[in-house]
Amino acid sequence: MKQIKAFITQEMWSPYLAGILLGIVGLLTVLLANTLLGASGAFESIVGWIGKKITPSVFSNVYWGLEGGRAMPVIRPEITWSVILLVGIVFGGTLAALTSRTFKFRFNDDAQWKRIFGPQPWKRWVLGFIGAMIVEYGAGIAGGCTSGLAISGGMLFVPAAFLFMAGFMVTGIITIMIIYGRRY
Amino acid sequence: MTTYIIAIILGIGFGFSLNKAGLTKYHKIANQFRFTDMTILKFMLTAIVVAMIGLYIFRGLGWVTFPTVPATYIVGNLLGGLIFGVGMALAGY
Repeated sequence: MKQIKAFITQEMWSPYLAGILLGIVGLLTVLLANTLLGASGAFESIVGWIGKKITPSVFSNVYWGLEGGRAMPVIRPEITWSVILLVGIVFGGTLAALTSRTFKFRFNDDAQWKRIFGPQPWKRWVLGFIGAMIVEYGAGIAGGCTSGLAISGGMLFVPAAFLFMAGFMVTGIITIMIIYGRRY
Repeated sequence: MTTYIIAIILGIGFGFSLNKAGLTKYHKIANQFRFTDMTILKFMLTAIVVAMIGLYIFRGLGWVTFPTVPATYIVGNLLGGLIFGVGMALAGY
């Protein structure tokens, strides 16, 4: 019992062990809900859901479904299963941080980030915001993010998953090379 | 209702594993692209392999039918991945 407690309260698990946990979660998703894990689609669903309530004409397009159209939209503009999953992800992350006693409101406390970009939190926020927009845009084009396409697709042997992984590794490396310069 | 409870529980498992693997930290993401910290690849590929083995066993036993698989459209997947990488390296989340 004591060992189990010590294990759970560890701040970091071996990535292999955490990966096994995620693999089991992905497996249970197919088994219990007959769907796939995914995060990026949930954001698009929320945006479409709110957007359709405020300005239906702007959001009446092929992506979120045409008004009165019969074709299935790419993203369903409603509270989907993955939106609920997203809520669970937030709780899960918080729970993990609480068990390892690292839960804290942080604005910018990553030592490496400070070394590269400086200590100002606003920079972190602005870059995080811009980066997140690019991430979501890319995920929209590719049809999923690292969880929805790379992990969920990978476990079903979908070629798209491996193309996507190759894609984000290539530009990720290039971008980090440009940002870090000689410090790479 | 049951499906939503399942979603919450699976989400908790997802978030828990992400946090314990350290993927919520900037330097883990950035250093993956510098190849000084291989956590992300170890984590992702372990998850893929575990789920892959389980899924194909379960399908062999007839317990699951595969859901709609993500569509493959080569240019889109690759282009999306290329854009995604820029954002991932900038945001570091």
